[in-house]
Amino acid sequence: MNTALDWRAATLKNGFRDATAYRVEFFSDIVGSAIVPAAIQLVFWHALFTLGGATEVAGMTFTDMIHYTIVSVLFSQVRGGDQDFELGEMIRTGTLSNYLLRPVSVVEFIYLRGAAPRFLIAGLSLILGLILSLWLGGASPVRVCGAMVMAVMGNVIHYQIGAVLSTMGFYWEDAYSMLMVKNLVVSILSGELLPLNLFPASMRWIWESTPFYLYVFGPTQYALGRWTHLEFLHHLGIALIWMLGLWFLIRMTWKIGIRRYLSLGG
Amino acid sequence: MTKLSDSTSAPVIEVREVSRSFQSVQKKPGFRGALGLLFRPEKTVHEALKKVSFSIEPGSFNGLIGANGAGKTTLLKILSGLIPPTAGEARVLGYEPFLRSIEFRHQIALVMGQKAQLWWDLPAVDAFDLLRAIYEVPLPIYRERLELLAELLDVKRHLHTQIRRLSLGERMKMELIGALLHWPKVIFLDEPTIGLDVLAAHKLREFLREFNLREKATIILTSHNMEDIERLCSRVLILRSGELIYDGEPTGLTGKEERRLRIRFLQRPSLDELSECAGIPKEQIHFTHGTEAESLAAHLSVRQGQIVPILQRLFARFQVVDMGLEEQTLEAVIQRLYEQDRIQGDSRP
Repeated sequence: MNTALDWRAATLKNGFRDATAYRVEFFSDIVGSAIVPAAIQLVFWHALFTLGGATEVAGMTFTDMIHYTIVSVLFSQVRGGDQDFELGEMIRTGTLSNYLLRPVSVVEFIYLRGAAPRFLIAGLSLILGLILSLWLGGASPVRVCGAMVMAVMGNVIHYQIGAVLSTMGFYWEDAYSMLMVKNLVVSILSGELLPLNLFPASMRWIWESTPFYLYVFGPTQYALGRWTHLEFLHHLGIALIWMLGLWFLIRMTWKIGIRRYLSLGG
Repeated sequence: MTKLSDSTSAPVIEVREVSRSFQSVQKKPGFRGALGLLFRPEKTVHEALKKVSFSIEPGSFNGLIGANGAGKTTLLKILSGLIPPTAGEARVLGYEPFLRSIEFRHQIALVMGQKAQLWWDLPAVDAFDLLRAIYEVPLPIYRERLELLAELLDVKRHLHTQIRRLSLGERMKMELIGALLHWPKVIFLDEPTIGLDVLAAHKLREFLREFNLREKATIILTSHNMEDIERLCSRVLILRSGELIYDGEPTGLTGKEERRLRIRFLQRPSLDELSECAGIPKEQIHFTHGTEAESLAAHLSVRQGQIVPILQRLFARFQVVDMGLEEQTLEAVIQRLYEQDRIQGDSRP
């Protein structure tokens, strides 16, 4: 195998082995993170439409909301993990030293190791999505596959942003609160809790100016047939631009930040 | 390209006037201290290394020793490329370490006894498999090396056990295997025998000696265990408060002809009196620190032939309670050096 591919494949395999070392923990994490946000949404929509008597909210009926909730769960499972927190903690405690001396990119290595289980979940979600597309009707398998590609790109972007923010640890020792704030913003602006169409038109720019909508809302819109193919390609292009821009930003922030690294702890 | 030369006879490590300082924030106790930290943090600068220079020959086994905070680990971090020096220049295998070129990283290894590098929840063999791919070691060679290392370190039966389920000694051995699978030319070992029992430390030492002889790898070892240094190192570098105070063979420290004369007096004489009476420089006399009884004892570093005349003069002038003659062990020499460091440190403003 090509050596560049070889270490990446080995890292994914190793990350997957690590994530599944404790099976109960692995499965309960998946199920818990899928059920909780879905349950919150379902209770909310039930209160609004059934008890509150609403027939349509922001152009979406009760059935539309339920479809959104079910499909968005598939993509929120693929949303980024916590490798950026791991990076920040490694900078703070000095365990980054373990990886800096390996002849591979530390940022990419940590991403791949942490992303391995997400990629498996993405595959499972894709199969589930294809089954759902047949059940719900309207959503073609091509749309589901395209949406999953966008969700995986969202996963990469999520980590890239975290990797840039974690370099604050080189200056302030701890980047935890910044990463935490980022995750809170993501949970609102990614569309995993609420469809972003609920935002008033005048506030649309808020979520459109971040890449977070590409994580869950974008893929869900496309999978449910609410975006045309052209709109999807347009947003895919935006995702690519974000990825490229963040790649440069990572290189720059790490190159500068690493000079302040102290390699503490022994 | 940062590589300077490929010559095998040239020093593998060159350090010229390397200094390193660290800035840290002082955290005072109490609420006022916490407020002060928030609004006006007080920063201090600590010099961990002061103009250190030396060079290391290929294939040599070198000991780097010093008390806690002497700058040993900082030096290893600079040489392995984890942190840059504040001033001066370091070259390892002709590379500037901090640039961490891929070629450089392929040829070095750093093992820190206090920092686990393998993954806690996975069996060691999984980690080794990943390291094989990272260092691009061909599969047949990897298998051969793993077999050899596991055999030498006697851990074959533990390769498929989760790291966290291994004993400290077994974990350390696995760390070493992980660090050596790519056959590095330069190995930095930071206290590899820390926390190990006598047998495990002995086995690890035997392995390191064997590996150094067999593979001609250049090794720098830091340890507080003088047995590690005495048994393995042909050269010793001693750091004290960031300064290199000794660079040479371990025997140069102990002095083959030197003996340590321990004398306890009824009343403690002054250093000047003792030096004048014994006829040896003050630097060769050290009073013991400790209890009142202990503080009455002095250690004199003397040559074999000087012992009898010195004793005669001391008996004639002072009331001696008891005496003894000790071999100069490396441990004792280093302990005295550390004590001097502490005294100097204590007298600083």
